[in-house]
Amino acid sequence: METGGSSESPIEPKKTKSKTARKPKENLLKQKSPAEFFAENKNIAGFDNPGKSLYTTVRELVENSLDSAESISELPEVEITIEEIGKSKFNSMIGLVDRERIDEELYDDFETAKAREKRLAKEARTQELHAKNAALGKKVKEPQASKGMKGRGEASFYRVTCKDNGRGMPHDDIPNMFGRVLSGTKYGLKQTRGKFGLGAKMALIWSKMSTGLPIEISSSMKGQSYISFCRLDIDIHRNIPHIHLHEKRDNKERWRGAEIQVVIEGNWTTYRSKILHYMRQMAVITPYAQFLFKFVSDTSDKNVTIRFARRTDIMPPVPIETKYHPSAVDLLLIKRLISETSRENLLQFLQHEFVNIGKSYAERLIGEMGPDFSPKMAVKSLTSQQIVRIHQLFRQAKFDDPSGDCLSPAGEYNLRLGIIKELHPDMVATYSGSAQVFEGHPFMVEAGVSIGGKDVKQGLNIFRFANRIPLLFEQGADVVTRTALKRINWNSYKINQAQDKIGVFVSIVSTKIPFKGTGKEYIGDDISEIASAVKSSIQQCCIQLKSKIVKKIQARVQQERKRNLSKYIPDATGAIYDVLREMAQLHASKKKRYEDEDADVLRKVSTHSITKQTLSEKLARHVEQVDYEMALEYATQSGVSEEPREAIYLQSLEDGKNFIDFHSPVFAFRLYQ
Amino acid sequence: MAEKKKRRRTDPSDSDQQHLPFKNSLKSDEIILQTLKDLCSSSSSDGAAGTLTLSDLALASTCREVADLSLSSVQSAIETLILRLTHSILSGQGFSFSVPSRSSANQLYVPELDRIVLKDKSSVRPFANVSTVRKSAVTTRILQLIHQLCIKNIHVTKRDLFYTDVKLFQDQTQSDSVLDDVSCMLGCTRSSLNVIASEKGVVVGRLIFSDNGDMIDCTKMGMGGKAIPPNIDRVGDMQSDALFILLVEKDAAYIRLAEDRFYNRFPCIIVTAKGQPDVATRLFLRKMKTELKLPVLALVDSDPYGLKILSVYGCGSKNMSYDSANLTTPDIKWLGIRPSDLDKYNIPEQCRLPMTEQDIKTGKDLLEEDFVKKNPGWVEELNLMVKTKQKAEIQALSSFGFQYLSEVYLPLKLQQQDWL
Repeated sequence: METGGSSESPIEPKKTKSKTARKPKENLLKQKSPAEFFAENKNIAGFDNPGKSLYTTVRELVENSLDSAESISELPEVEITIEEIGKSKFNSMIGLVDRERIDEELYDDFETAKAREKRLAKEARTQELHAKNAALGKKVKEPQASKGMKGRGEASFYRVTCKDNGRGMPHDDIPNMFGRVLSGTKYGLKQTRGKFGLGAKMALIWSKMSTGLPIEISSSMKGQSYISFCRLDIDIHRNIPHIHLHEKRDNKERWRGAEIQVVIEGNWTTYRSKILHYMRQMAVITPYAQFLFKFVSDTSDKNVTIRFARRTDIMPPVPIETKYHPSAVDLLLIKRLISETSRENLLQFLQHEFVNIGKSYAERLIGEMGPDFSPKMAVKSLTSQQIVRIHQLFRQAKFDDPSGDCLSPAGEYNLRLGIIKELHPDMVATYSGSAQVFEGHPFMVEAGVSIGGKDVKQGLNIFRFANRIPLLFEQGADVVTRTALKRINWNSYKINQAQDKIGVFVSIVSTKIPFKGTGKEYIGDDISEIASAVKSSIQQCCIQLKSKIVKKIQARVQQERKRNLSKYIPDATGAIYDVLREMAQLHASKKKRYEDEDADVLRKVSTHSITKQTLSEKLARHVEQVDYEMALEYATQSGVSEEPREAIYLQSLEDGKNFIDFHSPVFAFRLYQ
Repeated sequence: MAEKKKRRRTDPSDSDQQHLPFKNSLKSDEIILQTLKDLCSSSSSDGAAGTLTLSDLALASTCREVADLSLSSVQSAIETLILRLTHSILSGQGFSFSVPSRSSANQLYVPELDRIVLKDKSSVRPFANVSTVRKSAVTTRILQLIHQLCIKNIHVTKRDLFYTDVKLFQDQTQSDSVLDDVSCMLGCTRSSLNVIASEKGVVVGRLIFSDNGDMIDCTKMGMGGKAIPPNIDRVGDMQSDALFILLVEKDAAYIRLAEDRFYNRFPCIIVTAKGQPDVATRLFLRKMKTELKLPVLALVDSDPYGLKILSVYGCGSKNMSYDSANLTTPDIKWLGIRPSDLDKYNIPEQCRLPMTEQDIKTGKDLLEEDFVKKNPGWVEELNLMVKTKQKAEIQALSSFGFQYLSEVYLPLKLQQQDWL
């Protein structure tokens, strides 16, 4: 960042240059642009280290793509490619000639003679151990191929490309959308994935910091005959875009969407699983989107290609921009609303700029404010004191809770499909709670609980979503994790917390998610409204599952009855026969007399016409008969109805749109014309 | 006597008084002995009244009770049962047992007898049912094993029995509980099945009896005392010059009393089963009580479990209620440590323990039990315990010195005739 020195120098007064080159710097009042601030505190936005930066870059680009496609109600199709760039390739990209090391000792990863001795000794020891183990016939893991010594300087670079079929961007806005931190289209009070207009710009800042390469954007909007192409980077100190190339190109294929390409430093090895988890969870929560994830590198065995196929074409409704709830505003916000409003007088302002204030209620509020307020007074003429008074009243007065209409939850149907699609569980239950309120912002909790499935580990697997974004970090402190671990008594739902493969999915949507910490990684456990909503949602799922599990256990008992009964036949008949044989001996030796039938039986025992085998066969036949009767009884009780099968989704080949969809969170109804 | 003199001599010293509160109120041993003699004579005259049985109360038809059966009758009972099973199997009906239910719903406390008896409800245990198949298989196996014991006329322990077919029985609680079922089913005591439990109880003091023909003098058994023999039918010829029987819940208190030779100062027999009493100890206590006609005083912890143990000696356990006639010892006096003693003897706070939720629940449940209700003194004490929510073990008395129990507490209790 020291390159900035040159741009600063013109501002610096010339006269101090000679005498006090060091001292005055401390006293100089400097200003920082937002871009500079975020460059220095990039961990706030999730760019803590190269690995995390790669992850966050992918994440921001994917989320932008989804938002973009959803905003025009288009089923999203997102292609994300991470291409590993070797050092020499990178150097050639930036026009740097590869240089051989001349002074080996200069480098951090230079191995001194002493270190070398130590390493060789260690290697010899492990080899010896290995040979010994091999001699003993023990199976041991192959010693790991000694990792290539990787010093600080040896960074890995990646080209991240994200292509979508979204709205695209207006040609002239592109530079500002990428080259200006804290500028964005998502600032309104609305449930969106992004919020601060930071994501794509942070990727750009990070690329500038780590590689110095610009970002490349191609975009085309609906009906445009051209593709906008823009190559730009950011002037961090002035927080303005620095355009390399901005032109219109031919759009022969009538392509619509956006493609963003950025080259950054990263770390695929350590963040591979995080990125793949992210993609998988994203596929769970957005089953209506299609993702193609590719990792390309020079060594082909590291390559990864995963397609997350679309499973439904039902999209959640586009979230509606809503107005503020009176209890959620602060002084500054009121002032901003006043300066932005087009309403003339106070009454109209209250009535139209906030939710849950009707005309009569607004009049009552104004009456309560005091004698120097009147419904007809010009809203722009309010003094600071008067605004404080309004704020006070907003905090004290009672308002109806905001409705959840402005929220766009994933929908029980989609959540369910997503879980089934990605996890293939044995059982799944979903539940969608009603909207609730925390600090004037409505929120909604949806939950899913699954049992079994592929690639699911034993015990609790927790999947968290906030505004339909997967949350992967800081799991321990999160409200969902804590609730699932501590406040749910899994046993009471016949679920074994340690043995079963339990998937817990909780999606929270809100106009303002109360994230904890700087990164938007987790929701704190201290908000009782959210905690109890999460708990009850999970419990609802469990209740649904319980009946299924009980049925399953019953069915298993049915299946295993005969086996369980037959298992004990030898024990029982063996014991009985032993006693009979003893008795037969006593009878034969005339020590003890038995009468009629009994004597008959004992005689047969001594003549071997009744043996253990006879008893076993008789008992086995009885067991079979009982089993048959029980099975009949079970069938008449439970009927032949099986579990309803999940309908499979077939992608339509032609886009014949002669139908109307009726959507609800739990089902979709399609009327063909 | 030498010891007594020494004790008197040290009496006036100040330090001793501080360490052993209430010692001053102790009268001489002769006076205490006199009260004990009175107790003893009244108890032996009571016993002459004779004991009631179920048939006396016309309950014999609705209640089930077992009796000691000879080996041969046990054997033929098993044989009859097995023949019935065989016929049933051969006719293609499978087989099933009818087992008397030992659940708490099938128990009845009879105040006239002062013990729990088993009612006549029984449950069917068919082989061809998933929930009972295991139990019925185990039952047949146990029947066969006992049949063998009868033929060979030997005794085995419950553990032995379990190990004959570990694969089937899986764990000892299962074979033990089926064993009780079997004795219920055959209508005999568990001892008549020739299956015994390993020794648990011990006895020390002024008692001489014969064990399998050997004469045992319990004053000469060292500190640990004599282990109570598991088969009571080999015990006989009991003689004693004791004035009472002291029943102790805990091993620790028992060792203290045995080492201090408490039975020499006040002639008594000291018995403990180290916690919940086993069958052998209960049979032994009953035998002592009926043959020697001595009063029984109990020293248990001041917590709900102490009282529960007392009740098992007194009225029987629910698990073995079918044999309560042989196992219970009527008229046991609760000597200590009672909840009221905590304040009476100024037991320091640090030696009292707060009762847990579970303790309080157990205490409240006990208040509902008939055997507690019949004794107003006990109800009062238990109410006090539940109210103060404090419990104390016998060892709490050690806060005044290890020998406080034998030197002051017990003599004082006896002197004041402070039993309920």
